[in-house]
Amino acid sequence: MNAFQSSLIHDVFLQAIASLKENRLRTILSIMGITIGICAVMVVGTVSQGVKKYIYQELDTYGLESLWVYRKWENQDPFRSVREGSGIDNDDLKYIRSCCSSVKNVTPVVFSDENDITMRSKGTYTNVNLEGVGVHYADINNDTITQGRDFRLEDIQRRKAVAIIGTKIRDELFGPHSNPLRKSLRWGNVRLTIIGVLDVKNRDILSQLGTDDYDVNKRVLIPYTLYQQQLGSKDIHTLQAEAVSINETEKALDQLTEYLNRRHSFHYEYVTESMEGWITTAEDLLRNISFVGLIAALISLFVGGMGIMNIMSTSVVERTREIGIRKALGAYRRDILLQFLLESTVVSVIGGVLGMVLGIFVGFGISYLSGYDLGISWFTAALAVLVSIAVGMISGYYPAYRAASLKPVDALRYE
Amino acid sequence: MIQLHAVSKSYQRGDLPVPVLKKISLHIKKGEFVAIMGPSGSGKSTLLNILGCLDAADSGMYKLAGKTIQTANEDELAKIRNRKIGFVFQSFNLIPRIDAEHNVELPMVYAGVPPAIRKKRALAALNILGLADRVSHVPAHLSGGQQQRVAIARAIVNDPEIIIADEPTGALDSQTSHEIMRIFLQLQASGKTIVMVTHEEEIGAYAQRIIRVRDGEIFNVPL
Ligand SMILES: Nc1ncnc2c1ncn2[C@@H]1O[C@H](COP(=O)(O)OP(=O)(O)OP(=O)(O)O)[C@@H](O)[C@H]1O
Ligand SMILES: [Mg+2]
Repeated sequence: MNAFQSSLIHDVFLQAIASLKENRLRTILSIMGITIGICAVMVVGTVSQGVKKYIYQELDTYGLESLWVYRKWENQDPFRSVREGSGIDNDDLKYIRSCCSSVKNVTPVVFSDENDITMRSKGTYTNVNLEGVGVHYADINNDTITQGRDFRLEDIQRRKAVAIIGTKIRDELFGPHSNPLRKSLRWGNVRLTIIGVLDVKNRDILSQLGTDDYDVNKRVLIPYTLYQQQLGSKDIHTLQAEAVSINETEKALDQLTEYLNRRHSFHYEYVTESMEGWITTAEDLLRNISFVGLIAALISLFVGGMGIMNIMSTSVVERTREIGIRKALGAYRRDILLQFLLESTVVSVIGGVLGMVLGIFVGFGISYLSGYDLGISWFTAALAVLVSIAVGMISGYYPAYRAASLKPVDALRYE
Repeated sequence: MIQLHAVSKSYQRGDLPVPVLKKISLHIKKGEFVAIMGPSGSGKSTLLNILGCLDAADSGMYKLAGKTIQTANEDELAKIRNRKIGFVFQSFNLIPRIDAEHNVELPMVYAGVPPAIRKKRALAALNILGLADRVSHVPAHLSGGQQQRVAIARAIVNDPEIIIADEPTGALDSQTSHEIMRIFLQLQASGKTIVMVTHEEEIGAYAQRIIRVRDGEIFNVPL
């Protein structure tokens, strides 16, 4: 930037402030339009980014690389549907590691069709989500053990009657913040010893979206071997695995089903699931939130832009004589154009910065009221300022062009 | 310095073109102080605007300081106005929001003069015109004579060859008018060419030569 431009910008900035003061009401209205628009942009950005963060955190409670394989039960093929068993058994586990290169970890999950499994400690009963699992279960599910320990291989191999429980089970049976370790839990005639407590998991948003109605904090985990013994079957109902990376989930699923098909000679058909579908659902949802918000933002930016166009047009008319003077003194067409464009941009950026600040406060307000810490989207803040510059330039262009096109003699004669 | 040959200009009034200047030819030499006089509506301002490159003639030839004006484009004209011409108007035409110093700086802003030099030169010009203590006054806080002196400072700050003045004393009392004319004489003495429109014989008398215009034509005999 040369001296001319920088001093012109300085002059123009002062002039912009002065001429805006003269048209105070109109200026305030236009600034408000931009402020509301940019504020809306900020809120949309903050909410969608914040919600995205939470949704991903919640999705991550399943492990984003998680995948599931289980038998397709409702089979159309009459010969297949009569087959007994889940199509996955303990022997499969031994080989999967060596044959499926995209699978990082795998755990069997054994459960029963029974809906209400009740457990008891002393005189208190509670419903639980009972799952028979392997040693890698906590790893794959991103579960942490807050009290006690995880399963060891020998717990599984020796079918030890040990359990890891969710926080709600602890709270209901032993009271909040209590220590349930080494206490026992009655499951029918089995006496389980509690060896660990799982950390709380949040699935508030997902359960509100209706994607999951099962309470993760009411899980009771036991060795899958123990559960199989109780059920009297070597069936594994679901194989839950973790791919080496998100991009390899499809490959891992293919490897698993291919392996199972070969091992069981295509006797069964398998259903596979990965987080991908959920991620897509979440992103669709976020896109919809953003879309609605952005439409609102666009409308107010449009109104603000029209306001700016209006004050700038009026300003051009009111300052016709000034334009004539400037042209007489040697201003080029582009100097006048630049001057009015900068003026409209100043208005718009003032609105934009106010909108940004307001948006940050509204974001805090929403965080406070909703209980979710959405944070500030600095990306959106930067975007907001850029958008306000663009709105200023676009809406100022026509008036500026008209000013620049005035003939000096006509402009000077204007009363 | 100024050569006009068969310059015509007409304005559209309704459907008919009304001729305002009819094949005007004139020659003004470097360093001359010329007054253009004539009745109201005779086309004096129109002529002066053409001389000042603020307006274009419909036909004819115009040469200013060796440059052919009728073929120049918008930006070339802006540059000529900026470097070669200083304007003084009846209504001063200062920008109301900005102070005397910044008004005087404007021609230099458009000439691309760096701020520090602009300030120095603006203050020097205002000083010459006896306004050293008025530099940060806005026009509304200056008297008519002071405003016109700011305008003259602005007109000369880029050191132009020609001063174009349309009724520079038209809004001033007689004592102030004479003061302004004495400034014009000093400008002429410093080598500027001055073309001034006036109604008043007394003011016209300061010029070396009077060009009389009537109905868009030059009459060199007083009526
Ligand atoms: N933009 C215009 N459109 C139409 N007619 C115009 C325009 N400018 C000037 N005229 C007409 O041209 C004629 C000459 O005008 P001009 O301003 O040159 O007169 P003048 O000699 O300067 O008069 P005065 O002494 O009153 O200033 C007038 O009749 C005026 O009405
Ligand atoms: Mg006139």
